[in-house]
Amino acid sequence: MKGNRRRATNAIEVNFLTRMMVLFGFLIIAGLFFVYLKNQQHSVGNQARSVEAELHETEAKCEALQARITTLTSRGALQRRLDEGYIRLETIRDTAIARVTPPIPAEVDGVLRTALRDTDPRFGSGVPQRVLKR
Amino acid sequence: MTGRIGVLCALLVLVFTGFAWRLINLQVLQHDYFSAIAAEKHLIKKVIPARRGRILDRNGEELAVNVPIRTITADGTRIQDPAKLATLAAPFLGMDGGELRAKLTSAFSSKKAYMIVCKGVSEENTQNLLRAMDAAKLRGLYPEEASERNYPNGEMLCHVLGFADRGGHGIDGIEKIFDAELSGHEGFRWIERDRKGREIVLYRGQEQLPEQGTDIRLTIDMGLQAIVEKEVDEAWKTYHPAGASAILADPMTGEILAMACRPNYDPNHFNQAQPDQMRNRAITDMYEPGSTFKIVVASAALNEGVVDEKTRIFCENGLFSYGGKTIKDHHKAGDMSVEEILQFSSNIGSAKMSLRMKDADYYGYVRRFGFGEKTGIPLHGEISGMVNPPGRWDMLTKTRMAFGQSVAVTPIQMVMAMSSIANGGRLMKPRLVISRGEGSSENEPDLVREVITPKTAKFVSASLEKVVSAEGTAPQAKVEGYTVAGKTGTAQKLNPHGGYLDGRFIVSFAGYLPAENPKLMGLVIVDDAKIGSSANYGGLVAAPVFSKIGAKAARYLDLPAEEVRVTAQSGNTGGATASVR
Repeated sequence: MKGNRRRATNAIEVNFLTRMMVLFGFLIIAGLFFVYLKNQQHSVGNQARSVEAELHETEAKCEALQARITTLTSRGALQRRLDEGYIRLETIRDTAIARVTPPIPAEVDGVLRTALRDTDPRFGSGVPQRVLKR
Repeated sequence: MTGRIGVLCALLVLVFTGFAWRLINLQVLQHDYFSAIAAEKHLIKKVIPARRGRILDRNGEELAVNVPIRTITADGTRIQDPAKLATLAAPFLGMDGGELRAKLTSAFSSKKAYMIVCKGVSEENTQNLLRAMDAAKLRGLYPEEASERNYPNGEMLCHVLGFADRGGHGIDGIEKIFDAELSGHEGFRWIERDRKGREIVLYRGQEQLPEQGTDIRLTIDMGLQAIVEKEVDEAWKTYHPAGASAILADPMTGEILAMACRPNYDPNHFNQAQPDQMRNRAITDMYEPGSTFKIVVASAALNEGVVDEKTRIFCENGLFSYGGKTIKDHHKAGDMSVEEILQFSSNIGSAKMSLRMKDADYYGYVRRFGFGEKTGIPLHGEISGMVNPPGRWDMLTKTRMAFGQSVAVTPIQMVMAMSSIANGGRLMKPRLVISRGEGSSENEPDLVREVITPKTAKFVSASLEKVVSAEGTAPQAKVEGYTVAGKTGTAQKLNPHGGYLDGRFIVSFAGYLPAENPKLMGLVIVDDAKIGSSANYGGLVAAPVFSKIGAKAARYLDLPAEEVRVTAQSGNTGGATASVR
């Protein structure tokens, strides 16, 4: 009888079970970690998208404001305001200008400064200078 | 028992074989088809628009800029409630609620994935709309990037700049000619959208950044342009002409510094402009130049050696019968030198100089001065004027061409021809662009050809100085502090039905300063000024405008004033036949 009971009993293979549980544990953790990372990626992606949108919005606002400033300070707009009397031109005599630094002649850097009677490279003698900046 | 198990197994094998086949069919055989359907549903090629390049003047002043705007599109497949969405969005889009509802309902019912709902929505309104949609948990409207062209100076320089349409395509002027450079190339990005239509950043696909449009830097100086515009405006208001044009150029390099025409228009509202306002008369209109053309015959005769500085030509005391017609001079004189012929604008003297030359030689000089061919200015619509070859001349053509009849020129041709006298005989190609994009430059003046010798040019130039003396035809072109050389032109307007129109003139003055070392070349043309015939002369209408422009431009550029040589010549204003004075 005893012998029969022993025969009917299966031994629990603790080692095998432990190995399997560890393996499944690893798989579960890896899976969860994968999902966590994926969610993080989505979350970061969404943040990137909203930052991009914000940046774009700011850029667009900046461009719109720059265009507005350009329009309001354009030659035509200023002339109109001058004609209407909102602004006026005041003559500043050369003697009333305190120069912190001495005037730079145009030949040095090619910058046209019409307020100075320096030799404008465009209109001076020799080959006309074409790279003129404001 | 075994048999039943066998059947069951066979059935299971069959079922799973079917599943496997279906799986292979879906995943392998029809992979491309289903991928395309999935891509169509979720993948979108998002266009990244390129920024249109700016147009700047020579000093970097902005002449054409971009204002960001948004185009709102609807995706019918994502709209849930078109009526509710329309009610919410209409105020932000500035649209009528009913109209918007109809559009959205149409997109919704046809499941149209892309429909443009509204263009030109400001950035602020767009952001407010998106926030309102988020709050109301509605979807189906999406903004697209766009921009609108803005011309900060309005009407100023409109004929040179031209304009771009709402789609950002250049239609006229610099905007059209350099449309490819200004436009750049748009980029793209493949994106996937979630259920709400938002981009899933994680699944961003292939991306190509846009190639931004290049900035175009013109030779125009807005300081000079403003001066020219103001004076042309004043002439426009004073004389109420049919048209007026003025050009300022650098005679040494052919650079166009200013160009203005009337009537004009505001390129910001180009759809309100009439075709007549949009015409750049400086390049698209031809006119009989009248006496300004005498520089051609004088230069040609001197250069060919048929006359010299000392040659005196008998001017028939003001009446010369030739070819059955009479040529008249205002200044009745006997013998005149070439210098005096120009100073007093003698038609007879000019005609006689032309008769001393062979037809082919004379025609050759007219062509070498650039008449009868396009100058090549980078603007749309330039014409070549009209110069008939000797084979088509009648007996009178040659003599009439000598004083600017039977020939038609454009203002820009006249500027370049006169510049060649100023710069020692070199015909330059007009330049309007300094650079196209960072690092590029088109600095080299473009010489077309040597027309006359420097000696001839110097002599003609000296003669043209006398034109602006107290005894010449254009004392009113004088600019205080500078010697001016120039020539007036007064030509009767052509009658479209043949002959000339009585009492209607196109008057002009072309000149440069300082005469000895020219820095500025200017041309002023007033077409059909509403003023009595006795006062409608180039020297009385156009020359004063030139003088004002010259004085202000010289001051603006701070040109050193020079000692004015006193010239004492006798005579009166030229002019003779019915049409040329």
